[in-house]
Parts: sequence; structure tokens; C-alpha cells
Amino acid sequence: MKRKVGALEKIEADHAALRFKIKRDPQSYRDDFNNQWQQYETLRDLFLQSPSTQGTGLADLKDLVEFVSHVADLYPDLCAQFPSDLQQILLQHHEVLEYELRDKMVGSLCLLRNKDVIDSVALLNTLFPVLVATPSKSLRQLLFTKILSDLRSSNVKTTNHKLNRTVQTVLYNLLESDKESPKGIWAVKITRELWKKQIWTDARAVEVMRLAALSENEKVIAGGVRFFLGGDKEREEAAEESSDDDNVDMAKLKHQAGINKKTKKKARDLKKAAATVKRKEKKKNAPHPLNFSALHLLHDPQGFAENLFSKHVQNTKAKLQLETKLLVLQLVSRLVGLHKLTVLSLYSYFLKHLTPRQASVTSYLACLAQATHSYVPPDVLEPLVQKIANEFVSEASASEVAAAGLNAIREICVRQPLAMTDTLLQDLVMYRKSKDKGVMMAAKGLLSLYREVGAELLHKRDRGKDASMGIRAGTIKEQRYGEEAAGGIEGIELLEAWKEDERRKKRIAAGLDPDGTDGDSQLDEAEDWKKWELESDSDSDEEGWINVESDGEDINISDSEDEDKGKPKAKKAKLDSATPAPNEGSKSAEPETAAAKQAQISKLLTTTILTPADLKQLKALQEQTAINAHLPSHKRAAMLAARHADEAITAETIEAAASLGKKNTKEEKIAMAKADRETNHQSTTAKRKAKKESEGKSTTNKEKARKKNFLMTLGKAKSKNKRSLGDVKKTLQGHIERSKRGGKRGNKGN
Amino acid sequence: MTTSSKKKKDKKKDFQKPKLRVGKAAPKAANATSTSFKAKSISLKQQALSAIAPTLEAQCVHHLGLLDHKADKQRQESLAFLTSAITGITPGTPLPQPASVIIPAVQRLILDPSNAVRQQLLKLLKILPENDVATHADQLLLHTRAGMTHLSVQIRTFALEVLQWLVRVAGDEVVSCAGGWVKMLKCFLSLLIWKSEGEGKWSQAKSYGKSDAKLQVKQMDALTAFLRAGLYHAQVVSISNDSNFPLWQTEHHMLSERSNVYAHLNLFSATRDEEAEMFEDREDRQRVFNDRAEPAVVTGLEQALKAGGEMGRAAAQLRKVVRDGMADFHREEIIV
Repeated sequence: MKRKVGALEKIEADHAALRFKIKRDPQSYRDDFNNQWQQYETLRDLFLQSPSTQGTGLADLKDLVEFVSHVADLYPDLCAQFPSDLQQILLQHHEVLEYELRDKMVGSLCLLRNKDVIDSVALLNTLFPVLVATPSKSLRQLLFTKILSDLRSSNVKTTNHKLNRTVQTVLYNLLESDKESPKGIWAVKITRELWKKQIWTDARAVEVMRLAALSENEKVIAGGVRFFLGGDKEREEAAEESSDDDNVDMAKLKHQAGINKKTKKKARDLKKAAATVKRKEKKKNAPHPLNFSALHLLHDPQGFAENLFSKHVQNTKAKLQLETKLLVLQLVSRLVGLHKLTVLSLYSYFLKHLTPRQASVTSYLACLAQATHSYVPPDVLEPLVQKIANEFVSEASASEVAAAGLNAIREICVRQPLAMTDTLLQDLVMYRKSKDKGVMMAAKGLLSLYREVGAELLHKRDRGKDASMGIRAGTIKEQRYGEEAAGGIEGIELLEAWKEDERRKKRIAAGLDPDGTDGDSQLDEAEDWKKWELESDSDSDEEGWINVESDGEDINISDSEDEDKGKPKAKKAKLDSATPAPNEGSKSAEPETAAAKQAQISKLLTTTILTPADLKQLKALQEQTAINAHLPSHKRAAMLAARHADEAITAETIEAAASLGKKNTKEEKIAMAKADRETNHQSTTAKRKAKKESEGKSTTNKEKARKKNFLMTLGKAKSKNKRSLGDVKKTLQGHIERSKRGGKRGNKGN
Repeated sequence: MTTSSKKKKDKKKDFQKPKLRVGKAAPKAANATSTSFKAKSISLKQQALSAIAPTLEAQCVHHLGLLDHKADKQRQESLAFLTSAITGITPGTPLPQPASVIIPAVQRLILDPSNAVRQQLLKLLKILPENDVATHADQLLLHTRAGMTHLSVQIRTFALEVLQWLVRVAGDEVVSCAGGWVKMLKCFLSLLIWKSEGEGKWSQAKSYGKSDAKLQVKQMDALTAFLRAGLYHAQVVSISNDSNFPLWQTEHHMLSERSNVYAHLNLFSATRDEEAEMFEDREDRQRVFNDRAEPAVVTGLEQALKAGGEMGRAAAQLRKVVRDGMADFHREEIIV
């Protein structure tokens, strides 16, 4: 409905031009602005008499609103009322406003915020109620992006705690005030987005989501639960994306700048690229921001898990879809597994749903496995395992079902090995003779698991070499419920041996008795402290920095030299194993030295502080001696260790075994082989040529000559042969001259 | 140039002219869009089949709707139709559409960018019955004020014409409606760039949209008319009490014939500040004028008088009105 303005009229008077002039000299144009302000006031009054009009006056008002908001910061005394006007109109009439005017008003408010005429709190207090209340989808979209961008921009330099707290409180109150309304979805959306961008990383944001997960609207519940299940992963991915989206090759750019035409724009680009590289470098050196996952930031996870479970899953009145219910169940089981909570009613709930006919039963199985941890009483889990075995694993059931059942049992038993009885285990292990590959592999997995964690439950012939030897020697003991292994550092004995070796070498070099225990052990300690930092900073030395050794010598926390009994023990250990590195393998064969070793480890850990250099050495030693890391059992253990405790078990994990035996079709195989390969290979030159041709650009003379028809060149070639000597000379000389001059026309400038 | 004959052929294909043959349908262009569609049934909207021409009222409604049309010509013609329809009716019969419908529809055309439309609008306004205009004076005044501060000089000039007409037709309503007095005074002062000595700047900034002397003269004329309406005594209708002898001053106790009599109580809308307040008494208006505008007007007049010529004459007129209008107010002050 925009009316066209005549060209002449436009030249004479137009808001854009006036705005431009006002910006350059606000004082001189004050009267003109005043006129426009009055015009705005009049139009506003007119508009307020019937805010829902769609008439022609709105275009003028829209223009004026834009104009005033652009220059409002220059006349704060005249426009004091302007922001509150806009806020009032938006809050009161947003439902009936003409959409262009409405969007313009939102934009103007944001502009005023950017010009610091109003503060973020005022802006958000206007936008948020409208966002929640408006029926218009496009307006919601607009407001959502505006709110997010404002929150982001006000958190750029430093975290704006005050604003964040205000907004979080608003969101919290929104969720709390009406638990059944779908409006809460906006709180969820905003929080999730800000979490993803790492603007909100605190417990308050998590608290908002906790409330959302406990609300009564299905959408809001799903939003809150999804946040806990996937929010952190999303955040990580976003961070990775943002870090590798602008990889600038500085060397290449500099090289190009040397060759290509030098323009101001290119110089600017180069400078910008250099700045980004520098910033990135700085970021790389900065300490990694410590971001806790949402699941760890929860207050009272026990209460939350219980609430969730009883409210949404157990409650028969909760009318949630199966999908949502499963999501909630996943979250509950995740919480239980991660924080080792005790929600006993959860397990009896599972008992009801563990049948092959249950929809998406693999998710249930995964949830059950996830909810298992070492503090779950085995007698609670036993009937569950029994039920899975009965329902899923039988000769009569389909091979996929049996494989899934076995796999689920294995996943449960990884977390709580005591949930298994020997008769059941022996039955299940028999399935390793199954003809189906999936079932066979799953059964084997169970077998190898129990070889490690509970070999006594197996038949003697199934135990394997390591386990039966261990049982005979008494090193493998039955695990009790609630037992915790004493903590230690893996490979610490290697480090100990290595240190001893070094010391001996040094003493030999100094001409002392290598096994002596006199005086200079303090020297060693001092040496260690000197090497506090790693040698990795050698590259920074090139920049002319002088390395000043810190006076680490006088920080002497260790008091080993005062204790006389410390050293001899270490010596004994060294005498036992003259070659420090490969003695790992023989360790288990010598049970009589085990006790001594135990003492030695605890000694090193309790008497010294490991420096970063020590830790590096330890890692290197571990890698050196990792001979048996290639054995399959160790590989498996490593894989298990690599799987982070925070990661979830999904239905795919359970289903994986069943898919083992499946054969791909031919099409799938072909597609897999082709996966990420170019269909038709072309050289870069060919590509460039093709591009040039498609753009319709001309060819060089050389190219033309190369492509010239052979027959056409014949005549010239013949006549060239018939030239006289003088002619030949002239041509050759001409050629030389031209090359000296630099082409036919020559280099005029030089 | 390529040697490949295939490529040459391909290239040629692009530039081949399609052959046209007599009696055959022309080949479709490459970018032709098929507009055909399939439908199970096609329903035609009802067509007007009556032979009777629409009534004048219906036509007027139609043309009122066309006032939003995007073509200048159409708007102007619609206005012209309405004008002729109103002039055409025999005196005594009601308008084809009531004024309460016409005025809200046409009033926003005061800000219309096309000059022809605006002139036609003024013609239409002038033939409307005066008492109908009076009831819509506040709305019209709002639009007029919007026009007076418009960016375009032509619209500003036109708005002054409308204001003069409005003051002539319904002067009392104009000066006493909500915001009619203070806001108008403020508007005039900012248009004329008249400031009282205290807030005066060193130099007068040249206004942005060409505010030439002619426009200023017109503005001063309009201000003169406006002040005359606001500051002079209203024409007192001679009250003859003879007819109903035992009752005295009955008309003061009767219900007023004006619409929205209690508007000044402001019962239903947002609270008003002083600017938007209604000033129904002449004394109130005098007081406000004295507070807010008189010093600025006096200083402005001094300068305008010095300019002489047409502007000087207009200024003299204005000064006379101000003096006459404020005479008794100042006398009272002196006495008090």
C-alpha cells in the first residue's frame, strides 16, 4: 500500500536526506527535527484512535518512526518519550497492528537499544511479553531472533550477569506461573539457543530447563528433556564449527599479495586475515573454558530424577506420547547412571515393558542398561536379567531378538556384574555356538566380559587362560557389592624405576657408588623441580626471550630425604627389576613381589609431587611398554575406557549386534564404496579451462596457435624453408630485438 | 575455436532459429509457462444481473471505498463524484451518506501527495453541512496539524487553507477540543521558528524544507484567524427570556445539543497532560496563551514587522488580534 512519491517532491524533502543532514550537524537542524517530531506526535495520536487501521497514513507513520529512531540519540530532550511510546503501542496493540508497522517498531526499539537510548532490560521487557502472547508466527520469529541477538551482543565483552539473571528469572517465572500452557516453549528455546552459543553456562539456565522438564505441557517437557539429552553435544559441535569455519592460510595470502595486483581492498583483507589469525592464536593459548555439562550442573539430581519418573513415566494419568515418554525415561536413566542415584521403582517399571512385542523395546533395553550402576542392588536387577533372558533369548525367538537380548544383558552386566547367576550365565554362554553371527558375537561378548569380571561363574573350560591362572593364584578375587577398588596411577611403577635408573646414571657420572644413599638425593629433587615445565616451550625461545629459571629449589615440600626408610625400599624394588621397561609382563607371575610393589607405589605417590615433566615421562613410558596393549582383551578394555561415562547408551548400541550378521545388498555396497569420491576426475588445469570456456572468455594466442589446424600451418612452414639467408637473418635479429625491447610495442614506461 | 565438431554442433544449436511454417502452430518458447489447470468444477461468482442501476447511496459507498485507491486520478474522481452527489441533492433531504461516514473516510486525504486530490477534497469539505463538520472538528484538526508539519511544502500550504476553513466553520470547537489549543500554538511557534528571548539562539537557522516568506505569511494569517477564534468573545446569542416568563435562563439547564457534552471530563480515555487538555473557557485559553506563547509571539512579531511588505501587513494584523484578545486579561492582571 506504499504510495509512490513524486520525484520532485522527493528531491525537495525526504526523511533519508534530512536524517543524513541531521547526523552531520544536529544543532542546526533542530527546528526541522522538531517539526518532524510534531508530525510524529500528531500521526501517533491519529493512529492511537484506531490502532487497527490498515490505511494509508500508516506508511507515513512508519517512515517517521524509522526517522526518529535513527536520530533519537541526538535529541535526547525532545525524544525522551519516544521509546516508551513505542513500547506502549507494541505491548497494547501488537495483535491488531499492521504487520509492516509492527515490524518497524520492533526494529526501531532494537535500534534504540543499539544506540544506548534504552537498556537491554527495557527492550527485553517489551519484546518478551509480546513474543509469548502474539498469535503471529512471523512476529514471533522476528522477536526471537532480536531477543537472542540482543542477549548475545550484551554478553560479548564480558558476561552481563545482571541482565542474564533478570532474563533467567523472567523465563523461570514464565514456566512456573502456568505449567500447562505451551508458552513455556519460548523459555526452552531461548535457553537452549543461548546454551548452545555458550552465553549461558551456569546452573541458573539449567534450573530453567529443569523446570521445563517438569512442566505439564508435552511440548515443553520434550524441549526440556531434549536439552538435557543433547544440549551439551550441540554446544560442543557449535564450538567446533565456529573454530574451524575460518581457517586462514596466512602464508598463501601473503604470497598472493606479493603477486596479485595491489589494491587497498586487498591490503585491508590481508590485514583483517592477519588479525583473525592472531586472535585465534590468542584463543588457542588461552585456557580452555571449563564448561560443565547440564547434567552436572543440576542441583539435587536425585529429586529431579524421582520427580520426572513419578510425574511423567510412572503416572498413569500422564498422557504423553510414547516417544516423549521414552525421552523422559532416557533422561531419568541417564541421571541415575551418571550420578549413581537410587530410584528403585524404576527397575520394577522396566519389568513390565521388557517383552519383544513392546514398541521400541530396544530403547527400553538401552535405558535399563543406562540406569544400571555399581550401587544398584543385584537382587533388583536379577529378575530383570532373568526376564530378558526368558523373553528374548531362546531358540524359538528370531535371531535379531536374541542378539538384542544378549547384548542388553551384557550392557547391564558391564555395569553391575553381580546381577548374573551362574546357571543363567552358563546357559547364555552356550549361544556362542549359534549359527547366527549376531547372536554368536553377542554371546561371545558376554563370555569375554565375565572372563574379566566374574570368571567363577563360568564353567571351568570357558574361563580362559588368564582367568583360570588368576583364580588359581588367588589374584582374582570375587567382587562384593559396593566394593571400591583403591585408586592409583597407572604405570607409576615404571616411572619410579626410570627415576631410579636416572639417578644411578648420574651418580656413576659423578663418580659415586651407584647404589649409595648418601647426601645428594636432595640434588635430585632440586633437578626435578627445575624441570617443572615441559620442554615444549623451545619454540618460544626463538623470539629472544631469556628463560629465567624460577627459584624452585627453595620450595621443598617433599620430605623424603628426612626419612631413611624411604630410600632403601626403592632400592630393593630396583634390584628386583634391573631392566625397568619390559618387566610388566612378568609382574603377574611373581606374586611374592606384589606386596612390595604395592608399598612402593604408595610411597612414590604419597611422598612426591609429580611435575608436568614427570607426567610426560610417565606417558612416554606407558607407551613404550604397551606391548600387551595389542592383545584383544586389552584392546577391548581400552575401548571400554575410551567410552566416556557421560555418553549415553542408545537403542543403536543394543541393536548393533543383530546387524553384524546381516549382509549388505549390492546397491548398498556400491554406494558405500562410492561414498565420498568425485564421480569424474579432472585436473585443475582442465577444470580451469572448462570454466573459462563456459564463461565465454577468449583464448590466448598461444592456445590458438596450438589448436590451429595442421594443414593451415603447412604453407607457412614451406615458405619459411624457402627464405634467403638475408631474410632469415632479418627475422632472427628482429626476434632478438623485440625480446630486448620487451615485445612489439616495447616497455614504454621504462 | 575448437576442433571438435561435436562442440561446434552444440554451439550452433543454441543460435538456430526455429522454423515457422504456415498453418502450423508456432513452436513454444523455451521459457513458456503453462497456465493450464485442471479442476473438477468451476464455479463462477454471482454476477449482477439486475437491470436496475445501483442507488446513489450504494454508489457513494463504493466511491468511499475507492478513496484508498493507488491511482491519484481514481481518488480524485471519487472525491469529485461525492462532491457532485452532495451538491445534487435537494436541500432539506439528508445526505446520500451521513457526514459521520464521509468525514472519517475523507479526512486522511488532507495528507495526500497529489495536489489535485487535495484541492478536490477541499471542495468537498466546503459543501458539507457546517454543524456536521463541527462535531468532527477534533479529528479534522488532528489531520490538519499533521499536514501543517508535513515535509512537503505544498501539503503544508494546503493544510493552512484547510485550517482557515475549519476555523471559519467551527472556530469554537477547534479552539476548545482536546489538545486543540496548546498543541496548535506549539505547532505554529515551531513552524514560524518563533522563540521567546530567553531560549533564542544566536542565529536563526535556515529551515530545511524551503520556508519562504509566502508560506510564512500564510502561516501568520492562519494564526491570526486561529487566535481570533480563541481569544475573542464568542458571539453571544442574544437570549430572549420573554417567551417563557417564569423560567429564567432555561437553556443553561437544558441538555446541550452538542455531541459528547462531557468530553472535558475525560471519562473513558487515557489521562491528558496540559498539552492535550481541553480549554473551553476563553479565560483559560488566555491564561495558557500568556504562559506558553505570548512572549514568543511578541518577539516574533517584532521581527516580522521589521521585514515589512506583505509579511509586515500580516504581522500587523496578528498584533492587533493579540492585543485585542489579550487586552482584558492584562488589565485584570494589572488590577490584581
